[in-house]
Amino acid sequence: MTMMQQIEQILTTQSGELLQALGQHLEISLLALLIAAAIGIPLAIVLTAHQKLAEAMLQVTSVLQTIPSLALLGLLIPLVGIGTIPAVITLVLYALMPIFQNTYTGLIGIDPALKEAEIAFGLPRAKRLLRIELPLAMPLIISGLRIALVMIIGTATLAALIGAGGLGTFILVGIQSNNNALLLVGATLSAVLALVVSALIRWLGTLSFKKITVSLAIFVGLFGVIEGMTRFQAPQTTITIAGKLGSEPEILMNMYRDLILEDQPNYKVTVKPNFGGTTFLFNALKADKIDIYPEFTGTVLQTLVKSPTKTNQDPTKTYQLAKKSLQEQFNMTYLPPMRYQNGYDLAVTAAFAKKYNVKTISDLAALNQPFTAGFDPDFYHQKDGYQGLKDTYQLNLNAKIMEPSIRYKAIADGKVDVVDGYTTDAEVARYKLVVLEDDRHFFPPYQGAPIMKAGFAKAHPEVVKALNRLAGQITESQMQEMNYQVQVKHRKARDVAHDYLVKQKIIRH
Amino acid sequence: MIEFEGVTKQYEQSLALDGLTLTIPDNGLFVLVGPSGSGKTTTVKMINRLIEPTSGTIKIDGQPINQMDLQTLRLNIGYVLQNIALFPHLTIEENITIQLEVLKWTKADRQKRARELLEMVHLDPDQYASRYPSELSGGQQQRIGIIRALATSPKVILMDEPFSALDPVTRTQLQDLVLSLQKQLHNTIVFVTHDMKEALRLGDEIAVMRQGSIQQVGTAKAIFNQPKNEFVREFFDIERQQASLTVQDLLAADLGTVVNNQPITITSSATLAELAQQLVDHPDGGVVATDGQEQRQLTMTDLTTLIAKRGV
Repeated sequence: MTMMQQIEQILTTQSGELLQALGQHLEISLLALLIAAAIGIPLAIVLTAHQKLAEAMLQVTSVLQTIPSLALLGLLIPLVGIGTIPAVITLVLYALMPIFQNTYTGLIGIDPALKEAEIAFGLPRAKRLLRIELPLAMPLIISGLRIALVMIIGTATLAALIGAGGLGTFILVGIQSNNNALLLVGATLSAVLALVVSALIRWLGTLSFKKITVSLAIFVGLFGVIEGMTRFQAPQTTITIAGKLGSEPEILMNMYRDLILEDQPNYKVTVKPNFGGTTFLFNALKADKIDIYPEFTGTVLQTLVKSPTKTNQDPTKTYQLAKKSLQEQFNMTYLPPMRYQNGYDLAVTAAFAKKYNVKTISDLAALNQPFTAGFDPDFYHQKDGYQGLKDTYQLNLNAKIMEPSIRYKAIADGKVDVVDGYTTDAEVARYKLVVLEDDRHFFPPYQGAPIMKAGFAKAHPEVVKALNRLAGQITESQMQEMNYQVQVKHRKARDVAHDYLVKQKIIRH
Repeated sequence: MIEFEGVTKQYEQSLALDGLTLTIPDNGLFVLVGPSGSGKTTTVKMINRLIEPTSGTIKIDGQPINQMDLQTLRLNIGYVLQNIALFPHLTIEENITIQLEVLKWTKADRQKRARELLEMVHLDPDQYASRYPSELSGGQQQRIGIIRALATSPKVILMDEPFSALDPVTRTQLQDLVLSLQKQLHNTIVFVTHDMKEALRLGDEIAVMRQGSIQQVGTAKAIFNQPKNEFVREFFDIERQQASLTVQDLLAADLGTVVNNQPITITSSATLAELAQQLVDHPDGGVVATDGQEQRQLTMTDLTTLIAKRGV
């Protein structure tokens, strides 16, 4: 398929999701803009009378701007959790500077003669502000709002990382699954949105002060009503499932949802795919911002719990240890895992395997040549990754750190000879790679299973029961196939998950 | 009546007013004149309390102004600024009637008042009311500045060097306008200028100021003919040297013969060269001018007397 055809396909098959993401994006952005304006403009008005404080405030807002937005999002998670709230807070902090600075500059830049006149004429403070000073500062205030909004819309793409949705979801998934068409659609829509809204504000700036005020009031009113209507719906049991970035977690999340809804059709189950990383998710779970997420046994032992033995070659023992540690250290419940093992592996091209006649990692080490390897950062740094592997096999590679999403492309293009991967990766089949056998059983087994708070498990035995139907299910090749469907064939994770469950008769329809 | 009693204004670095005592009578055009730094602007801005005195009392009609409601005080004092300072985003009508908005006049009443005032300064309301200040010439803008100060019909109007940024022709026209408005409305106008010629032309009474204190108070004639000290005399001399003299100066110096019911043949703003030409053209009939109060017939002798006295 050409890029154009792919884009066309996305626009036709995913128009619903695109519209929803566009709506979310606009909602987050406008909410952030309104809050930032509601803080920035009055603050600037008050501080025009206190120049030193205003200078200090300008410094503060400038410093806020220099904090990378991703870092700010990360910092906010333990404080306010995930989703729309931290996203909006971050965006507000960013938008404050242009709004505050422009309002302040606009107000103090007013001709002193006009200020003397309004005072000498005995105009009351409110009259001076509303009739004279704000209208005179309006062009600068409007341009501040415009700068802020364009910045917000751009930065809001990162909100997808913490489950706030928006167009960033498409960009993230596009990067993750090497789907440039998806990435392009997300990025273009976000840019177009910024241009359109910026033009709207510019137009607003050409109106008289009275009309601006009236338009803004109507807008805020409508916005409030819509927000209110969407937020205050009838209470019902709501379960939030989240997962890491990638097709596999997304497939699993959708399976969890289908399983729960099969038994409890009245529950409201929210799926928040494409969360940043392990720690983001685990903190979100601890803070009750999400209820369930799928996690691997190996990761639990490696990253989450304090455990004397980090690795264990026996999958069952690994799970038992992970379950016990989670229960004891975090009071969390770890349900029985699925069948497939998603461990690390090393892969080479079929041509490479044939040329050097390598089948196992020992074969590769025995060649003792500095082949080029592309490893994802986690794999490179972790003890259960390359650092341990090197020692176990006396392996000597010229290893480079690469983004997970591009390393398969790199090996396919002949840029590297060896890559790390997961046993269920779709790319193994896609790029005709050969997985080298871990003949010394170095890689720990990684089995996926739902993790939740013990309190949640106790309160919702029906959910536990539904999820347990997935225990022992899904083989490696089935998972590979499903990943292939999503990543390469660009089918929706939701449909792939549903089809599997129906086909395996785990759910009825 | 506006009274200053021992008013001092001390800034950190300098003394702006030094125990100023001054009485400004009602219904006249009172001019404060002096070089820059003499304290004249400080004095006028104390009347509407843009500047508060360090010590001393200012009273209007016997009542200390610091005991009055500030907003009421300011709404009842007209103010014309040097930089004109029309609000650029408001129409001429809105500029004129902004104080009336505060006083809760209806829109119709405000419109009516704006029309009256515009007509008073010979600007067509239909043409100008809905325009913005930037669409007007400097002279037209300051006409608006003046009628804006008249909007609430204040008893007292303060004018702080209102014409210093205008060209000489426009300035003369606006001086005439102020004179005729004052005759019409009988307000008390306190007019600040550094231009002695303007002071002589406008002032019923003139106060000459220097370094924060009053040097001399009196009518134009009295100050011109009997300068009280060296500073006042020199201030006039500088003015004399700088000024290109006009017929008005001749009238102000009490020259010429008072006549009645004669047609005016020369304007008071005409230069002495123009006057000389007229006198050559009418060697026996003489030339008649008016300062607005009385008509005077001018002769060659009057012209030479003025030149002898003031130089050219």
